[in-house]
Amino acid sequence: MKIAVMSCIHGNYEALNAVLSDIDDQNADKVYCLGDLVGYGPHPNAVVEMIRALDIPTCQGCWDEDIVEGLNSCECSYPSVLAEKRGKVAHDWTNQVIHPEVREYLAQLPLSLRDDNLCFVHGSPHNQHEYLMPEVDAFVAMERVLATGADILFCGHTHVPYVRSLDVGQLQIRVKLTGKSEPQNTSFSAPLKRIVNAGSVGEPRHGRPNATYVIYDNDTDQITLREVEYDYQKTCAAIIENGLPPVFAWRLSKGLEYAERADDPTHVCER
Amino acid sequence: MTNWAILSGIEGNLAAYEAVLADIKRQRQPIEELYILGDAIAAIPESTNVIQRIRSPRPDEPVPQVCQGWWEEQLLILHGLGRTGEPTELIERYGIEMVKTLWDAIPREMVEWVRSLDFGLFELDCLLIHGSSVDVGDELTPDTPAIQMLDRLMRMDANMLFCGRSGLTFQYEIQQGSVTSSITTLDQVTTPQAILVKPRQVIGVGNIGRIPGQATYTLYNPYTNHIEFRTVRYGSGKGFQPLKDKLFPPLNNRLMT
Repeated sequence: MKIAVMSCIHGNYEALNAVLSDIDDQNADKVYCLGDLVGYGPHPNAVVEMIRALDIPTCQGCWDEDIVEGLNSCECSYPSVLAEKRGKVAHDWTNQVIHPEVREYLAQLPLSLRDDNLCFVHGSPHNQHEYLMPEVDAFVAMERVLATGADILFCGHTHVPYVRSLDVGQLQIRVKLTGKSEPQNTSFSAPLKRIVNAGSVGEPRHGRPNATYVIYDNDTDQITLREVEYDYQKTCAAIIENGLPPVFAWRLSKGLEYAERADDPTHVCER
Repeated sequence: MTNWAILSGIEGNLAAYEAVLADIKRQRQPIEELYILGDAIAAIPESTNVIQRIRSPRPDEPVPQVCQGWWEEQLLILHGLGRTGEPTELIERYGIEMVKTLWDAIPREMVEWVRSLDFGLFELDCLLIHGSSVDVGDELTPDTPAIQMLDRLMRMDANMLFCGRSGLTFQYEIQQGSVTSSITTLDQVTTPQAILVKPRQVIGVGNIGRIPGQATYTLYNPYTNHIEFRTVRYGSGKGFQPLKDKLFPPLNNRLMT
């Protein structure tokens, strides 16, 4: 069975349509979405309506949460003051145009989904805002998969797709308790675990403007990163026409993050 | 040579804290640093005496460095100063009546001091914290999975993590480990690399005030990495009452010093 997983559509209807067509072409049997349906892009309502109409199982992303709960994250959510300022403009715009039933739909989305030995989250199992970058320490990455009890953890949020395999993990431990003279030696081992980042449909940051998603074939255990061309200029034009910050159109056309990265991508805002 | 005393969970039990301070003074190697890893208070009025005692160390005592514990966080939540708006955890654990009990136990003027406490302390390569780097209520025990322990250490890049949430004394050593990691992106595939873990430890420092007549705490030498767990028995039931009365003046007198 082929399972398509996509994330971070960000109100980009053109990109969503292109990815859905590609999923059809690949004969995927199931589709999952990892959230961030809205934000940055010009068509948040149309994107949500499409996801709902197709009944695609979806978990809540950080942008979806912010539209429901109101912006409540600290400055750590943005890599710079400039990025924060533009992010707030996008939030306010989205907040104004979003339909009430769309907001209700976003509010009821679960934080994670499960399908047999697969787990689906937006950021990490611990928090929607946590970035599981490919360079995160291997043991930290392994803990995130093990925390779910799954073998493969699908996530998004970073907008850059990757597959990370973590194999033959082992730890040697010695525990000493008060009153017991002999310490106890134990070991821990974990079989192959994987993190699959689905990239971003509507706001890619891998260096090209194409939409990205992944397909997992559980018969062959193959994971394929998909890159889909579409008419991104149409979305760029709509961004500008709707009064969203033009830099979002520039960023979309380049497939790049325009600001520096956060100092600590694993930091989780607790506010 | 620096020696540290690390303790947690006084929970408003001044007699227990006094007994531990006395035990610290008895040590052959002088204790230069005293760390209190939260839960100095509990929902009892006697907590105010503990706060005053912590804030007023005697000249021959180390100045305590204190971080927030679970009870301190609950108090801050009640006063609208916490990281969440509702005291959900307090109510779930102790019932709705505990909200008023805790509110009444700690006077408003003490709340500011509680608010000033750090979430955790970082000294040399040691994280000193009530729960863990994840949460003040995160309870690490000897049975916590190794990968979870390692995660809590690596979140703050600490080699030693001292915690007090469980109230237990334990030494949990991650001696060695490895995992093979490989990454595939749209543009490249990295060859599998063996990632090694360096030795790190999680130390449960014990609890001072929860068990009447028995306090446990930890001594640590950061240069030799030597850990010693101390158990201090105190109070009349243990035969120490006459000595304690001689050593310490009555409570009211003490508060005035």
